[in-house]
Amino acid sequence: MNIFGMPILTFVTFFPVAGMLVVLFLPGSRGKAIKIAANIFTGLEFAATLLILSRFDAASGDMQLVERLPWIKAIGAQYLLGVDGISLLLVLLTSLLTFVATLSSWQAVRGRLKEYYVFLLLLETGMVGVFLALDLLLFYVFWEIVLVPMYFLIGIWGGERRLYAAIKFFLYTLFGSVAMLVGILVLRSQHQTFDWTAMVAAGSVLPGVLQGWVFLAFFLGFAIKVPMFPFHTWLPDAHVEAPTAGSVILAGVLLKMGAYGFLRFSLPLLPEAARRYAPAMAVLALAAIVYGALVSLMQKDMKKLIAYSSVSHMGFIMLGLFALTPMAAKGAVLQMVNHGISTGALFLIVGVIYERRHTRLIAEFGGLSSRMPVYAAVFLVMTMSSIGLPGLNGFIGEFMILMGTFSVSWLWTAIAATGIVLGAGYMLWLYQRVMFGKLTNPANESLQDLTVREFATFLPLLILAFWIGIFPKPFLTVIDKPVEKIIRIVNPAHYEAPR
Amino acid sequence: MMSAAGSDLGHFVPEIVLLAAAVASMFVHLFVKKGGRRGAGYVALAGIGVAGLALVLTPPSADALFGGHLMADSFALFFKAAVLVAGALSIVLAFRFFNVEKNEPGEVYYLALLSMVGMMTAVSATDLVTTYVTFELFAIPSYVLAGIFKKERRAAEAGIKYFFLGTLSSAVMLLGLALVFGLTGETGYAAAGPALAGANGLAALVAMSLFFVGLFFKAAFVPFHMWAPDVYEGAATPLVIFLSTAPKAAVIAVLVRAMAVLFGGYIREWSFILQAVALATMFWGNLAALTQTSVKRMLAYSSIAQAGYLAIGLASWGGSDWMAVLFYVVVYVVMNSAAFGLILLVDRGGRFDETIDGLRGLSRRSPVAAASVLVVLLSLVGIPPTAGFMGKYFLFTAAVDRGLILLAAAGALNSAISLFYYFRIGKAMFLEETVPLDAGPAGPESVSGAVMVVLAVCAAALLLLGLLPSLLASRASAALLGQ
Repeated sequence: MNIFGMPILTFVTFFPVAGMLVVLFLPGSRGKAIKIAANIFTGLEFAATLLILSRFDAASGDMQLVERLPWIKAIGAQYLLGVDGISLLLVLLTSLLTFVATLSSWQAVRGRLKEYYVFLLLLETGMVGVFLALDLLLFYVFWEIVLVPMYFLIGIWGGERRLYAAIKFFLYTLFGSVAMLVGILVLRSQHQTFDWTAMVAAGSVLPGVLQGWVFLAFFLGFAIKVPMFPFHTWLPDAHVEAPTAGSVILAGVLLKMGAYGFLRFSLPLLPEAARRYAPAMAVLALAAIVYGALVSLMQKDMKKLIAYSSVSHMGFIMLGLFALTPMAAKGAVLQMVNHGISTGALFLIVGVIYERRHTRLIAEFGGLSSRMPVYAAVFLVMTMSSIGLPGLNGFIGEFMILMGTFSVSWLWTAIAATGIVLGAGYMLWLYQRVMFGKLTNPANESLQDLTVREFATFLPLLILAFWIGIFPKPFLTVIDKPVEKIIRIVNPAHYEAPR
Repeated sequence: MMSAAGSDLGHFVPEIVLLAAAVASMFVHLFVKKGGRRGAGYVALAGIGVAGLALVLTPPSADALFGGHLMADSFALFFKAAVLVAGALSIVLAFRFFNVEKNEPGEVYYLALLSMVGMMTAVSATDLVTTYVTFELFAIPSYVLAGIFKKERRAAEAGIKYFFLGTLSSAVMLLGLALVFGLTGETGYAAAGPALAGANGLAALVAMSLFFVGLFFKAAFVPFHMWAPDVYEGAATPLVIFLSTAPKAAVIAVLVRAMAVLFGGYIREWSFILQAVALATMFWGNLAALTQTSVKRMLAYSSIAQAGYLAIGLASWGGSDWMAVLFYVVVYVVMNSAAFGLILLVDRGGRFDETIDGLRGLSRRSPVAAASVLVVLLSLVGIPPTAGFMGKYFLFTAAVDRGLILLAAAGALNSAISLFYYFRIGKAMFLEETVPLDAGPAGPESVSGAVMVVLAVCAAALLLLGLLPSLLASRASAALLGQ
């Protein structure tokens, strides 16, 4: 399937770059034109990613719509894109959240508009490319392209400590990715190819010890991105300082890149090492769940609270992946999408109030529900979604993870479940302190409720939260086969054991 | 016999052109009263252009020329091109520098050309004596270049330091060459190589080490780098661009030829030496750069560190693997020239600021310049999609394929470390506000359009080679196969 003579995956990967060039050549003084152009391009990009669905065969677990061109002959790297159910969901999530983030920036971003949208669009190409690339070198290129625009988004439009947060984010993730690069090099020298499909087909050719080292190298790259405990310290800084749109994309998409990397590369390419280290990974995941939740309870700043809750939620996803059962892994993939929706929305919610009051301290608020009823309703839905209330999206994912983990270890499940309890605690407490009670702070008297534009940014997220919560089947069907395929490689014992 | 030498000469038209241009440039400088100094520069630049054209038209030849003293194989031609690019970039940027600095010594142009003739013959040398002679031909003018502003204390110090240490290292190198001759009785690489492989191992190793010391000195490999930060800081910026790029390219070529042909029997030994040198050079260069406050000195250490990455590729022995080295040499020439070029970008009241102040807030005063510098910085760190990333990628791949995984890992770690100091510049340009100029001596601040164009061209080249590295990689591979 082609769009303007371009294969569809190439088109969705590079369409944002086209938008970037258009914005680049608009005069900097025409702020409104720049905004409109950027919104149109991210909107069309979302539409284009939806078009993939028309050619996508959900019953297949293989890579589809594969595009393959020679790229660097000397080392055998290819331009190789492909999509399966996992990639598909994450690409859709990326294009939706980028569109939402762009829309939410209409009022929030004032200075240096042109640069802002240029970086945002470049970021989108990097993210989409990460989820579609099947050549490890190409994957790495997209992975790194993401860093630079994010660095500038935090560093230019961020809060007071933005310089510190930006370089911390950049340095941390670059250290991780160069480690991953060495891992990729070793994989290549063993397989004599960068092609993911060929590597999977060839099976595990690496000796066990070497697998362990490569796993460790990949671990550094992905775990810092996720971020897993104890590599999470860049996250609160980056989130708190980033502008709202930056936080939405950071939490919604960038963190998923790490989890996606584990699922796509570490598990099927290094199955022996993955099995060997799974318990250790699960312990780190559990530590993140409990630690993130406890720290969230103590936060005074709303944005920081949500940032730490991300650490906890990503712990759930990692636990789901490294339980190495199909049920838990499917739950983890679904939870990646859910977390993108709910946490993305929560950052937007904080952004709305920050735009009005220029503070995010919980103590500054209270009783807002009487002034902002629509806002309160949206906030409530997303809080419940984050907690995992049945009927909303978070429940399905968490439930599947817990169920899939239970067959491996009841202890892990029990500890993870305390994370849910704590999660309900900090989120409800946050909601109560901000929304209920008497409106005491006079500065909050004249707060305006959500505007139509603001509500429009929330609408798709609200629809998805209910849709996945009530009727998750389409989403689960899409990821079913690809996840089964990966788990079959990494944990064949699961399928042999008597039920 | 004469006619044979005459036809051999046909392989060296680029050098002859440069030599003629150097003489012409000297005459213009000496005898043209008005504008003779700049005229000398234009003649030199034109000479480089014609030499480049001649180089393109020169077919590579696998024959031993001039009785086995020189070769004009595709390997040599590749490095000659790199030297010409380095020379052209530094002369173009020199115009800008002397426009602002006023005092323009016309000698620099023809001294640079003479030095380039030395380098271009050095990369062709396949004989001990020729190697030494060509080395001195490129070294002696470069000593003068380093100290050309002899009235300035720092420049004079730079020149003297470079001269003394340079001659010392040449002497050590000569001793090594003499030992090779003593052990084998041959001066040609082709004959001496096999003889050396069968000679006394220890003596051969001593000879090799002494020879390498001379080369390592010129390439500023740690621990023979001590002169470099001082010389680069003291010498005029366009001359630093020249001194930090062209000689390194030439030295790498000589090193590769010596390792492959002359010391082909001692692969394990020289690989070990170069691994050690690579580690020391990368770590020392990067860690020292972290602590610098002057941009120029920081870039001096950065250029040392960059040579360390090249040493990784050199240590990963073997024919086609050196493609990575050839690729990175060209990329290094472009990005290092552009990096020092950014010092010339902002003229603050009649002089160039070597601190970072002039660059603060640049993205708003001159977005194109800032974007170009950003690409150069990303390339220096090794972040895709730039040529610097691809170059490092090839280097590390070669190392991993030879089992040198830890060396590649050290290289990768160093890339991450280098982000910290390179991005001080990125941060200043994009994240910080313009610092208003204090009551300086004269004139307002200005961003040079010419330098901006040079930087933009370099940035575009780095991006192009980052996206389509095969454009250069295939040439580099061909150059190695032709050897």
